[in-house]
Amino acid sequence: MKKIYIAFALLFGLSMNSCKHDEWLYRESKTTITDEQLWNDPNLITSLLANYYDRLPSLHGVFNTGGMTEIDDAMWSGTRDQNGRNDFQYGNDYGRYWNYGLIRDLNLSLESINALGGKLTPAQKSLFIAEMRFIRAFVYFEMVKRMGGVPLVTKQLIYDFSGDPTPLQIPRAKESEVYDFIYKELEEVKVDLSANNGIATRANRYTALALESRAMLYAASIAKYNSLMAAPITTTGGEVGIPASMATDYYNKSLTASKELIAGPYALYNTNPDKGANFYDMLNKKPVSEVIFAKDFSLGTKVHRFTYDNIIKSMTEDNEASSAISPSLSLVESFNYLDGSKGTLKDKDANGNYIAYTNPADIFANKDGRLFGTVIYPGTTFKNNPVRMQAGVAVYNNGAYQLTTSAVLGGNYTDGQIWTGFDGPKDDAVDVSNTGFYIRKMVSDAPAASTRGTAAVNWWPWFRLGEIYLNAAEAAFELGRPEGLGYVNTIRTRAGFPANSLSTLTNDIIRNERRVELAFEDHRYFDLKRWRIAHLVWDGTETDPNAVVMGLYSYRVVRPGHPDNGKYIFARVRPTRFRRARMFRMANYYSSIAQDVLNNNPKIVRNPFH
Amino acid sequence: MKTKFLTLIAAASLFLASCSKYDNFDAPELTLSGKVVYQGKVLGVRNNGPQLELWQDGYPLKSPIYVYMNQDGSFSAKLFAGQYKLTRRPDAPWLQQATDTIRINLTGDTNLEVPVTPYFSITNETFAKSGNTINASFVVNKVVQTANVELVRLYLGKSVLTDQVLRDVRVDANISSLVFGSATSLSADIPDNLKNLDFIYARVGVKATIASEYVYSQVQKIALK
Repeated sequence: MKKIYIAFALLFGLSMNSCKHDEWLYRESKTTITDEQLWNDPNLITSLLANYYDRLPSLHGVFNTGGMTEIDDAMWSGTRDQNGRNDFQYGNDYGRYWNYGLIRDLNLSLESINALGGKLTPAQKSLFIAEMRFIRAFVYFEMVKRMGGVPLVTKQLIYDFSGDPTPLQIPRAKESEVYDFIYKELEEVKVDLSANNGIATRANRYTALALESRAMLYAASIAKYNSLMAAPITTTGGEVGIPASMATDYYNKSLTASKELIAGPYALYNTNPDKGANFYDMLNKKPVSEVIFAKDFSLGTKVHRFTYDNIIKSMTEDNEASSAISPSLSLVESFNYLDGSKGTLKDKDANGNYIAYTNPADIFANKDGRLFGTVIYPGTTFKNNPVRMQAGVAVYNNGAYQLTTSAVLGGNYTDGQIWTGFDGPKDDAVDVSNTGFYIRKMVSDAPAASTRGTAAVNWWPWFRLGEIYLNAAEAAFELGRPEGLGYVNTIRTRAGFPANSLSTLTNDIIRNERRVELAFEDHRYFDLKRWRIAHLVWDGTETDPNAVVMGLYSYRVVRPGHPDNGKYIFARVRPTRFRRARMFRMANYYSSIAQDVLNNNPKIVRNPFH
Repeated sequence: MKTKFLTLIAAASLFLASCSKYDNFDAPELTLSGKVVYQGKVLGVRNNGPQLELWQDGYPLKSPIYVYMNQDGSFSAKLFAGQYKLTRRPDAPWLQQATDTIRINLTGDTNLEVPVTPYFSITNETFAKSGNTINASFVVNKVVQTANVELVRLYLGKSVLTDQVLRDVRVDANISSLVFGSATSLSADIPDNLKNLDFIYARVGVKATIASEYVYSQVQKIALK
């Protein structure tokens, strides 16, 4: 018994003693970083910013192969389980983006760096704050262009447990107010962002101007073209729809920003005398002269599989999937001829007879150089190797051509020559072009870029000078100012057109230039939306070549004894895998707001048609 | 050994038996069917186009049940018994009437006529073939006084699903000479690819500027031979 008492006494004393060393309980953790540590260490903050830059949103951008096949520029020709991209209509929630998680992270960071970042130099601090505000403006722009006016939340929303959540229920701002907010933020931070000038992967002064140029152009065209609709899409509170009277101001703001950028340190990439190859290099070789803001990739750390997904079939270095994007005939035909004539391909003469070409590439001769830089077509090359595209042979029989295709790719016809090329196109086939075209733009030609082990590291252009020229041209044209013509001609000269190839501008010319210059760069869906012509171009008509993705198949003529023997003819086809014409409804101009958002916040107004 | 097997079998059968408890929820077995009508007349719509929305109160997570319509304006939905609210959605050729809910107490198979207010209605439509031409005569009535007509169109197609999306021929009427309430006529030539068919289908559609969908007449089958 005594021993037990002693033991207790000892234990008690031991525990008393240890209490005095309570600093033991307050050691710095070796596994967690405190807020104080984070917001006073520029390296840690830079690393956090990398996370935010990585989360910048896009709809069909950042090498989103699937998204690129959901408009009229291309169809899906990859695995069958994703054939829904060829057989859908834009849902009410298509393009919905409501990312207040990211907004909250940014607001929290902005508050924390102000409250805790005492050891940063003022220059460091103001740069970080400016970058985060830029990213926040970028995210709000992405939200407003898809949803219309959204709640403008610029600080953390914290619940006070009072039982009353109404202070957290913020109503939607007017659509114009969100655009004004974006402009004001960018104007305020652009001076601080100058410290990043020359860096293409972080926001700098010119990145802010580029976002201003694009966002103000969007606001202006919505103000103008929404009001010109037979029944403008509006809500009574202005959450959707911008009054026409604001258009001029927005166009001016966009033009001012574009002009400052054009006068800045950037230049259109123009080093390769072959204009088509030059256009391809412009995005593939990471030139800092043209690209203002990019998402960069690097071997071994961060790569993407756009090349694996989309490389032309015969040149893939991996097994399994390739060639998921099949560009459409309507995209190919939107590239005009260098003599200024319209880009419609001459497959048949006035009498409805096929025109035979000696080489398959001849039908694409004398086209805008950007066609070569964007699309792989029969008779061209990739990685300095000829592509092997031929849909089949056309046998002349009883006064008409019979078009036949081989069951296997690369098979020979009875005359011992190629029947269907190894690169197709083949109708209703997987991992081979279904339209007669492959994508070249942004598909890397680096060694092993199409393998999954190595993958590709070419970067994604968020903003480049080519777009800014077209933004400036559009804004100037809408304002009735003459300088727009010069901007478009500059862009066209870089694409191989003679100097001053245009003498007048029209809306159609500017819109077509945007389509061909910026194809697959996540512009077209939003461009058609802001011009309010998406429901006319993609009207769901099964017989309309704009709403339907069509293809152009090349056939070798078998007609012994005739001068056309061995030449090539081209047939327009509707690929079997393309099941339903693109149909953009009025409801798609603004995506529906999720039901849980509406349930949580009764002050949120529904978008029209939802 | 034998007992071991027996135990295993018993355990397995128990396991299987218990599964049936969780898997076999009853499927909804009541049918709500009906039509959208204006003044007692069924409205034609685009197949897979306009929708109605059903809501059910009393559950924490609210989400609508979309009910699609056939091209003849009929619809049907398989539901559980219960109280439902039916709303007439926007993105349709009729007024939204979001707050004018139709309450449905579903206890058995129910047939429902849903009255809607279309912006325009089409009446007295007749289609006739004369030679190689289809002549349509119809009356466009303005129902919502503030609405403006954007397009009046005659469609020909080779299937009963003929509308703005699925069609072979489309002919626009001259809107400026359109008189509401009196007969309008439109005619369309039968194109070569339809000429040799036994019959084709014809339909008239009217679109209001404020609506994104057309209101259609019922599809008329026309014998060519």
